[in-house]
Amino acid sequence: MRRVGLLIVTTCLLFAIALSGHAEGVDSSDSSEYLIKAGFIYNFAKLVEWPTTAFAQPDSPIVIGILGNDPFGATLDRIVADKKIDGRGFAVKRVKWSKDLRELKDCNILFVSSSEKEHVDSVVDGMKGLPILTIGDAPGFAKRGGIINFTLEDNKVRFEVNVEAAKHADLSISSRLLTLAKIVQQVAADGRKSE
Amino acid sequence: MNLKDLSIKRKLMLITMLTSGLAVVLSSAGFLIYDLISFRQSLSQDLMTQAEIIGYNSAAAMAFKDESAATVTLSALQAKDDIVSAVLYTREGKIFTQYVHAKAARRDFPSPPQARGYRFEGSYLEVFRDVTLNGEPVGTLFLQSDMRQWNSRAKRYATIFLSFVLISGFFALIVSSKLQKLISGPILHLEDTMRMVSATKSYEVRATRFYGDEIGRLIDGFNTMLSEIQQRDTALHHANDELQTRTLELEGEIVHRKEMQKELLNAKHAAEDANRAKSAFLANMSHELRTPLNAIIGYSEMLEEETHELGKVESVKDLQKIQKAGKHLLSLINDVLDLSKIEAGRMGLHLETFEISPMIEEMVATLRPALSKNCNTVQVHLAEQLGVMRADITKVRQILFNLLSNACKFTDHGTISVDVNRSSDQGEEWIRFQVTDSGIGINAKQKANLFQEFTQADVSIARKYGGTGLGLAISYRYARLMKGRISVESEPGQGSVFTVHLPAKVTAEITGATPAEKASDVPAASPGMKSNLDTILVIDDDSTVRDLMSRFLTKLGFHVVAAASGEEGLRLAKQVNPLVVTLDVIMPDCDGWAVLNKLKADPELAEIPVIMVTVVDNESMGFELGASSYMIKPVDRDRLAILIEKHRLTRSSAVMDAQAFAASRRDASPKKDGGRVKRTATRNDRKTAAPIK
Repeated sequence: MRRVGLLIVTTCLLFAIALSGHAEGVDSSDSSEYLIKAGFIYNFAKLVEWPTTAFAQPDSPIVIGILGNDPFGATLDRIVADKKIDGRGFAVKRVKWSKDLRELKDCNILFVSSSEKEHVDSVVDGMKGLPILTIGDAPGFAKRGGIINFTLEDNKVRFEVNVEAAKHADLSISSRLLTLAKIVQQVAADGRKSE
Repeated sequence: MNLKDLSIKRKLMLITMLTSGLAVVLSSAGFLIYDLISFRQSLSQDLMTQAEIIGYNSAAAMAFKDESAATVTLSALQAKDDIVSAVLYTREGKIFTQYVHAKAARRDFPSPPQARGYRFEGSYLEVFRDVTLNGEPVGTLFLQSDMRQWNSRAKRYATIFLSFVLISGFFALIVSSKLQKLISGPILHLEDTMRMVSATKSYEVRATRFYGDEIGRLIDGFNTMLSEIQQRDTALHHANDELQTRTLELEGEIVHRKEMQKELLNAKHAAEDANRAKSAFLANMSHELRTPLNAIIGYSEMLEEETHELGKVESVKDLQKIQKAGKHLLSLINDVLDLSKIEAGRMGLHLETFEISPMIEEMVATLRPALSKNCNTVQVHLAEQLGVMRADITKVRQILFNLLSNACKFTDHGTISVDVNRSSDQGEEWIRFQVTDSGIGINAKQKANLFQEFTQADVSIARKYGGTGLGLAISYRYARLMKGRISVESEPGQGSVFTVHLPAKVTAEITGATPAEKASDVPAASPGMKSNLDTILVIDDDSTVRDLMSRFLTKLGFHVVAAASGEEGLRLAKQVNPLVVTLDVIMPDCDGWAVLNKLKADPELAEIPVIMVTVVDNESMGFELGASSYMIKPVDRDRLAILIEKHRLTRSSAVMDAQAFAASRRDASPKKDGGRVKRTATRNDRKTAAPIK
């Protein structure tokens, strides 16, 4: 029921956005939640700094990888299309789970879809030490070593940040982002790894 | 009170205060306004900065739609008292979150967001600012400040400004009230001085010169003016004093003069009194002297005649001597009186018109005895048509008489000639009488004093020839009186020529002309009037005169009635109706003038001619009162005879030659002396010289 209410609200919001002539078009298939989350991802990119080594060239795009089922549809692509941050454009690629994780390693932002719950630890481990902003969409993602994780509070999209994980990933997250996030500590890996 | 009538002190202070106040107010107001404007500017800048910070801080919250975080961010504005409200709008223009200061009143927020930037809205400063995240707008921030810093600053400024103006005004007042004395002080001093000068009228006061400015020069000018006025004042005072002194002197002099005048008046009165006394004395004396002489001469003449008739020749000579001495004395007295009268200016002219030739002939006839005494030959030369002249006949006669007498006196066995002619000089007719003798003559020295009184050619002459020496002096004055002149030419031993020039028509201020005419024009008696033609009334209080007149007139063949007083005379005049009345003046009770008046006032008697016979020498009075003739005592009997004859002829209406009559009368009368009254020259034989003896 809560979701239905939220849906109504977000639909209205989107409608209004569409009316005001902003880039995001209206897609009946997009859920409002993921519309917001897509916007959030774009905003995260603004408030996170990657080490220079993360990019091959100064104008290399910020690659957003979506692992697992794509909940965004075309929304995310639309949002980041034509956007540039510090001279970098965006590139979105969808990745299927594979063991070698190679495809994931050239991403700058990795959205781990809620469909990939079982692979969270593997992904976190595989990305460890790499300057990749990992974003989860399932509870406990940050605690398990992900950097950012979307949550819902009172039908509003919120997020958690694992500062330590970010530090390990050599990513500097703006304090402005941190003030809005719920900071979480990493739980001992062994105990929960098996989940 | 009118602003223009304020005192200079107040005006100066007012000007100073106004000027300095205006300067202070303008400069500080300018400064304050500038400061407030720039402060407002900086306030708005501050607010913009504030908005930037808040926008920055809230950008993420906006981006992640975190209302609570945004609210927290806005709540940080609580520290800022001046920001009364803040609003975050979403990109869509909806209010995302808002904040209102606890103490501020709630108000509506502008929606949708306005133009970016700041603006002053009423007493508020408002800012709209985009909230961006990495250059991308995520919403709009609205901040509203009530500018309380600015307000409090303005208030503080107002206070400071006011107190500054007051304090500076106070000091300006003090300073200007001190400094204005620089200007007002000398002016007030000048004014005080002027007031003092005009109040006390003292021009010694001087205004003090303080400085060398215009007022100083003004004061100098004022002082110069004062000193000039003072000088004039002093000069005026001096002049005034001098004038007073002079006035006093003049007053003194006037008093002095008045006293002098009084003295002079007294002296004049005294002199007049003395003169009156003298005149009275002279009149008295002449009367007193003549009266006895009258008797002496008259009686000696009578006696001489009687004695002659009786044939007592020895006595006749003695009597003649008495008579001669008497006559000399008489002439002397007459001369002296005449002279004194001339000197006193009281000798009047009695003008009448007369024929010249008869007058000359008559006189020569009268003088013939004297002329022939020294065996002299007399020649009379009368020019043709001598005609008449108008003059005082008595005085003309006397002049000629004197000249002829002198000629006789100083000529012995010589010739005496009388020439009379008429000439015209400068439109005026002149009669020239010339008496020439071949006598002893006069030298130049004597000539100088010839016409002076009591002067004879020589003292020795007086002894030898006798005479008073007054004759020529009197003649000279008579000639002058008639505007004529006498001149003399003479060579000692050769003889003298005396020439008398007289105007044919003498005019004089004093004229007795009209009454004088009466003497010749005796009024004709009315035919019906019965008159006693051979009776003569003699009125005189002096019995001697009465006696002499009676004897003389009886001899002439008249009947004489005598009256001793005026009243008696009047009565007798009525009784006898005489041919002529002879009237004396000085008589007791009723004097001659009164008698004459009454005679002329009485219609019956008015026609009777009155001959005044008196010692009083006042012809004009007599003629005025109506007298026919006037004779001075002692009486010239011949003349009296002629006059009476004239009247008789007139009254009897018989035309007769009066002179012939008189001559016949004289011829009829006994001869006193050979040829004494014998006519030697007649009218028809004027130029014939008639040798005597």
